[in-house]
Amino acid sequence: MERKRWHLLALATVVLAALLFAACGDDDDEEPAADEPAVEVEQYPADTTPGKIQEAGEITIGVKYDVPPFGLNNPQTGEVEGFDVDLGNYIADRLGVDAEFREATSDNRIPLLVDGTIDLILSTMTITEERDLEIDFSEPYYVANGDVLVPGDSDIQALDDLNGKRVCTALGSTYADTIKKEAPDADLRLVDLYSECFDQVQTGSVDAVSTDNVILTGMVIQDDTLELLGLDYTTEPYGIGLPDGDTEMKGFVDEAVAEFISSGAWQETYDEWVGQHLSEEQQQGPPDVTLEEALKLFPLEK
Amino acid sequence: MSYLFDSGNWEWLWTGNNFKFLLEGFLVNLEIALIGIVISLIFGTLLALMRISKRRVISVPAGIWVDVWRNLPLILIILYLALAVPSSWRQAYADAIPGFFPEALQDELVLGALLGLVLYNSAVLCEIMRSGIQSLDRGQHEAAASLGLTYIQQMRFVILPQGLRRMVPATVSQLITLNKDTTLVSIIAIQEVIGRAGNITSASGFFGGVPAPVLQVYLVVGLLFVIVNLALSRLSRRLEIRERERTGTTIERVKGIEDQVAAETDVITSR
Amino acid sequence: MSELWEVLTEHLPEFSSGLWVTVRLVAIAFVIAMVVGTLVAAMRIAPNRWLNRAGGIYVETFRNVPLLVLLIIAFSGFPRAGVSVSQWVAGMACLGLYTAAYIAEALRSGVFAVGKGQVEAALSLGLTYPRTMRRIILPQAFRTVIPALGSLIIAMIKNSAIVGGSLVALPDLLKKTREVQADTAQPDEVYFWGAVGFLLMTVTVTLVFRYLESRFSIRR
Repeated sequence: MERKRWHLLALATVVLAALLFAACGDDDDEEPAADEPAVEVEQYPADTTPGKIQEAGEITIGVKYDVPPFGLNNPQTGEVEGFDVDLGNYIADRLGVDAEFREATSDNRIPLLVDGTIDLILSTMTITEERDLEIDFSEPYYVANGDVLVPGDSDIQALDDLNGKRVCTALGSTYADTIKKEAPDADLRLVDLYSECFDQVQTGSVDAVSTDNVILTGMVIQDDTLELLGLDYTTEPYGIGLPDGDTEMKGFVDEAVAEFISSGAWQETYDEWVGQHLSEEQQQGPPDVTLEEALKLFPLEK
Repeated sequence: MSYLFDSGNWEWLWTGNNFKFLLEGFLVNLEIALIGIVISLIFGTLLALMRISKRRVISVPAGIWVDVWRNLPLILIILYLALAVPSSWRQAYADAIPGFFPEALQDELVLGALLGLVLYNSAVLCEIMRSGIQSLDRGQHEAAASLGLTYIQQMRFVILPQGLRRMVPATVSQLITLNKDTTLVSIIAIQEVIGRAGNITSASGFFGGVPAPVLQVYLVVGLLFVIVNLALSRLSRRLEIRERERTGTTIERVKGIEDQVAAETDVITSR
Repeated sequence: MSELWEVLTEHLPEFSSGLWVTVRLVAIAFVIAMVVGTLVAAMRIAPNRWLNRAGGIYVETFRNVPLLVLLIIAFSGFPRAGVSVSQWVAGMACLGLYTAAYIAEALRSGVFAVGKGQVEAALSLGLTYPRTMRRIILPQAFRTVIPALGSLIIAMIKNSAIVGGSLVALPDLLKKTREVQADTAQPDEVYFWGAVGFLLMTVTVTLVFRYLESRFSIRR
């Protein structure tokens, strides 16, 4: 009697498990082929990183999943979308491979690159000397400026006003240190994701959020009762994260970035993701900073 | 209050792809939980056997191992392993995992999460198993011995089958806890239901369209868990009743209490 | 080895402040859990069907929803509905209410262990139901339940880490461990000390409850 019951139970479990696996196994759609004009693809020798990627047929890029307009996972399409994503796709096209994206938060992006889980970091990452110790950077592909976001009715006007207030930014970002310097008495709240900062300023758990103005713009787009102070108190050149010392990869990526800018693709992507939300005066152009200059902006402490 | 019931705030549920997106994420949680419990059961049983071994050389280290992992917060273990698991292991995992597994599980970060879940839950299950095995009458051991069975044979044919069977309700109960614990992996950027819920709320703000407020979205997430876990606990209760009918002895477990409590408050009544 | 000690000595203030926050969080949440849990248990065994149901809904809801989801709903969802919730309130309330469901069940079973017979006897002696509960049943139930309480407190200590790891992000031991890790990038050493901190708390609770058990609990 009991044997039968046991068999039933085991069978039910197996069937349930099988159903679950089957239901999800064939879920994800392939990325639709881009209808861009065919890009010239340079074949790289098999022992270089670009060559290996070409052999594998895909490049894995770490992007943000919760930071519009650079990287946001869109439920309607199930794909991640944004400026960084478009640039990532552009680079993949130039290598003739598919781009595969995964989430890279401010906290885990460098470890993921260092251990090879991802090939590139395209995650609103500011170029700093400290980071340069562990990884390499491409030439800057975007220059953001530091700003502060507050609720519309806040009385915070300047950086000094942050003292004694609760300010939110991400663990592992450049702002964690910058704010400690600029407003040492500010009550700094560090989170994993910028979406949490956004959340907290909306619910009144923090008084201000400070990070790159373009990320904050993404927040203002979502909630127009918030406003930017327009401080531009830091210059944050974004660079693509590359494996340390990999000259072929860097050569390839730098070329790709330069093409991206010169071919007008940068402007197109900018307009689509950022420009259309900003007024005339706030618009900006492609980066005019070199990697060397960028590194000097965030030198090593100690 | 009207905020809660305003239908405008619930529109996201049947608009566009939102619910399917959320559900897909939820399935990832369930899958991780299922795989987690299966592997944890295997190791948990092994650990339990080690724990009840007569040789102190085996039982003492096993005991220390179990007590350490049982008493640490699962989230601490997961966060640590996410950083500490070498990428070679992760690569091996990503290569080894068969293609028919769902895509989310093929992601190599899942190894850290699974490892953490297994380390923790195998220790917990070990204690549950141990109390199940030890709850069996002394008499069973003696009877088996008097039949001429060796220790191993006793374990294999008499003690273990009964002990394990008694622990099925407790294991299903642990599966419920495991289900809830899978939400913790959202903190290491694995794409499951909590991360997706966040995406839904962010995307609705940025891309416009139907608003998806945080409160409503997460209430739905909570509901998903309640539905599944409730079903599991009903199953667990049925199994317990069946056990009672069959053997005439009951483990009147304090129903559904987490982890260690189950092992410590078992009341055995015989009829 | 020296690195291990270095991490501790350099960051002892963070670790200990985190530890202290965890202790406070668990202590207050425990009080909430006991109060609410007792109430719900009483509801569950009351002779009134509606109270039973209400208690049942409470227990089934809070036992089956993940703590993380509760925290997000409380901290992020409620304020948008107009109810302002601070970090501490969210942390204590969620942890407390969540654990209360388990305490309610433990008490309920403790009451059953005491035996219906006592309830009937008390009622037939003319004691009112509340008084029966308060004077006769609950005190015995509590004592039966002491070992379970020890485990529940340990579970609370572990669950409190979720509060620190979630968006509520109270500066507890887990949060501080992560901050030190972000600072020093030495996960093995940093998390080792974090684990030690938690084990300190759980081992203390285990020992305390072993003592209490030997003195107070009812052996059956």
